[in-house]
Amino acid sequence: MTAAVLLALLLAGTQEMEPVLPGGVEGRPPVGQQSPLQAKIDRAAPGSTVEVGPGTYAGDVFIDRPLKLVGLGRPTLVGSGAGSVVRVRADDVTIEGFEIDGRGGGDLGRDSSGVHVAARRATVRDCRIKGTVFGVYLRAADGSRVERCSIRGIPGREPGEKGSGIHVWNTVGFRLVGNEVTDVRDGFYIQSSSHGLIKANVARDLRYGLHYMFSDDNTFEDNLFANGAAGTAIMYSKRIIFRRNAFVHNRGFASVGLLFKACEHVVAESNLIADNARGIFLEGSYHNRFRGNIVAESDAAIVLFDSCADNRFEGNSFVANLTPLNLVGRRTDTVFEGNYWSDNDQPDLDGDGQSDRPYRLSSVFDHFRGNLTAADLLTQSFAAAALGVAERTFPVLDPVPVEDRAALVRPPELPDVPPPPERESGTSKSGLVVSLAALVGGAAVLVWGRR
Amino acid sequence: MTTGSALALCARQELVLAVRSRWTQLFAAVFGVLALTVATSGYILSGGHGVQDFARTAASLVQLVLLLVPVTALLIGVLALAPDRGADELLYSQPVARRTILMGKVLGLLAALVGAEAFGFGAAGVVIFSQSGNEGLGGFLLLQVCAFVLTAVFLALAALIAAGSTGRRTRALALALVTWFVAVVLFDIGILGVASLLRSGPASRLLIVGTLANPVDAVRTAALLGIQGTTAFGPASLSLLRFSHGPMGAGVLLAGSLLLWLVGPLVWAARRLSRADL
Repeated sequence: MTAAVLLALLLAGTQEMEPVLPGGVEGRPPVGQQSPLQAKIDRAAPGSTVEVGPGTYAGDVFIDRPLKLVGLGRPTLVGSGAGSVVRVRADDVTIEGFEIDGRGGGDLGRDSSGVHVAARRATVRDCRIKGTVFGVYLRAADGSRVERCSIRGIPGREPGEKGSGIHVWNTVGFRLVGNEVTDVRDGFYIQSSSHGLIKANVARDLRYGLHYMFSDDNTFEDNLFANGAAGTAIMYSKRIIFRRNAFVHNRGFASVGLLFKACEHVVAESNLIADNARGIFLEGSYHNRFRGNIVAESDAAIVLFDSCADNRFEGNSFVANLTPLNLVGRRTDTVFEGNYWSDNDQPDLDGDGQSDRPYRLSSVFDHFRGNLTAADLLTQSFAAAALGVAERTFPVLDPVPVEDRAALVRPPELPDVPPPPERESGTSKSGLVVSLAALVGGAAVLVWGRR
Repeated sequence: MTTGSALALCARQELVLAVRSRWTQLFAAVFGVLALTVATSGYILSGGHGVQDFARTAASLVQLVLLLVPVTALLIGVLALAPDRGADELLYSQPVARRTILMGKVLGLLAALVGAEAFGFGAAGVVIFSQSGNEGLGGFLLLQVCAFVLTAVFLALAALIAAGSTGRRTRALALALVTWFVAVVLFDIGILGVASLLRSGPASRLLIVGTLANPVDAVRTAALLGIQGTTAFGPASLSLLRFSHGPMGAGVLLAGSLLLWLVGPLVWAARRLSRADL
């Protein structure tokens, strides 16, 4: 009996299997999983606008002709839970103004998404997507855009079971602007795609905020990446330019603000890289330039592998990091010139704005620390400071000389660097009460004793 | 007269003396001004960006406490507690146990110094909490408690030094300065030196035990861990917590070490004083 039921279920399952288009792309959903909107879309003339009124529409949507699907009064598209909620299979489609709920269903292997695009020049705008494996998936979707969407993945899953917020694959000339992504694996995952612009997005509480793989000639600007394992990871990619981004609060055990692996000719300007376990991590990367960034409050500002070559840091501001440089390996040709280092106490007697002697990024204490993590317990001790001074005065040990020959004595003006995200501010009543109590109590003891 | 009232009387007298002393007044002024400076400048880091607002300000306050409090407690303590030929001869000839007089004096000094510190913290706190919101109130209180405990520990050490050098005030002062230097700088350099000769396992354990054993390091570790959590020392925080089996264990170990440093020297000082020929 049980076997018969199982067999029936299995057969039913096979019959329910939707057709899969060539290349593994999800096709038209079977009738039972279709949205009531499907008939309307199938009747629409190519190039027309289909307006959808407020309400909840259960089932998946398949678009095979160029049209504009516009939600009025924020209608909700609730997916069948079997695959992508909206499947775009024709060029020049626009999806605008919807709430999209994937109900936690779908399949990572079939790229199930809130909006799955496998066509050119699609636009997804002003949508709020939740409970889907991927938020928006651009698959060979040249010239597509995703604007002002908010994407929240499926909470409570392991990172390996989640998809990306916005996944871009094999696409030239994409634009991702003004989106907000949380609770997914990678906020923006860009693979084998070029000439894209990623601007003014927010990605937080996820694995990597932005992740490039094998994607050359890309730009990202004015984004905020917070609370991840890495703010941005750039791997095997060339000629990426990025400006005015904030990489903050990536504080996990091995977290990184900005990770480079086998990258070339990357230019970073005017970014804020603050409050990360490790600020900038460079491995196997060549010809990269860092100009005018602020790297602040990291355990290690830069982690540099000796597999890197010809990297330059100029005009950056390194503020209040536990250690400026953690060099993995024996040598480096990285050039540091004209940066500001907040722990640089060398004088500037000739008043040219640069310290008279080079600032050393490596000290005896770092030598200890490199071999012994527990030495960090004493980083902020006076002994560490004393050792630093002694070593500069009598250089006995010479670990690996890494120097900034023209270290600035004052922090440079960097007006383009974004300010850190707002922390809780305003007046704290309980704090003030406690402080005033301490003030008055202390004063009372001092005054009472005098009488 | 009961022991309790004698204790209170001695404490009261010492408090009056300490508060009238230029040294205490100077300490209160310097500590207050520096704490205020740290609090005001803490928000605007050199780059003009404060991300970890309170934690970094507090870290600077910790450094201020570690630098000023031990040396002040030792110097003021030794000056006040080393028995001299005049007043102290008279005081110790009273029918009150010497240890009661000593404890009373220590308590009086502690009250004066804690009052001065509370004044400074209060001034700094008003600046901090008028801007920063509730974040960090716990850390701020913890830091105050740490400073008070550190004061008590170094007053106890001062009592021990003073009890051992009756009538030789200069020697006591010199010893106090040496003690301060060892506790604040030399000890750490020493264990770092030894650790660099050991393999990494024993070296880590030595550094952790060393940090727990030295009262200055213990206070720094407790305060920074309490305020910043594991970000205070990067991965080293985790190796400390693994060593102590979690934050509770670390707290117990740190508090235990400080308690030993407080009680041990006081008991020893009382014994030394009871045998001393005044």
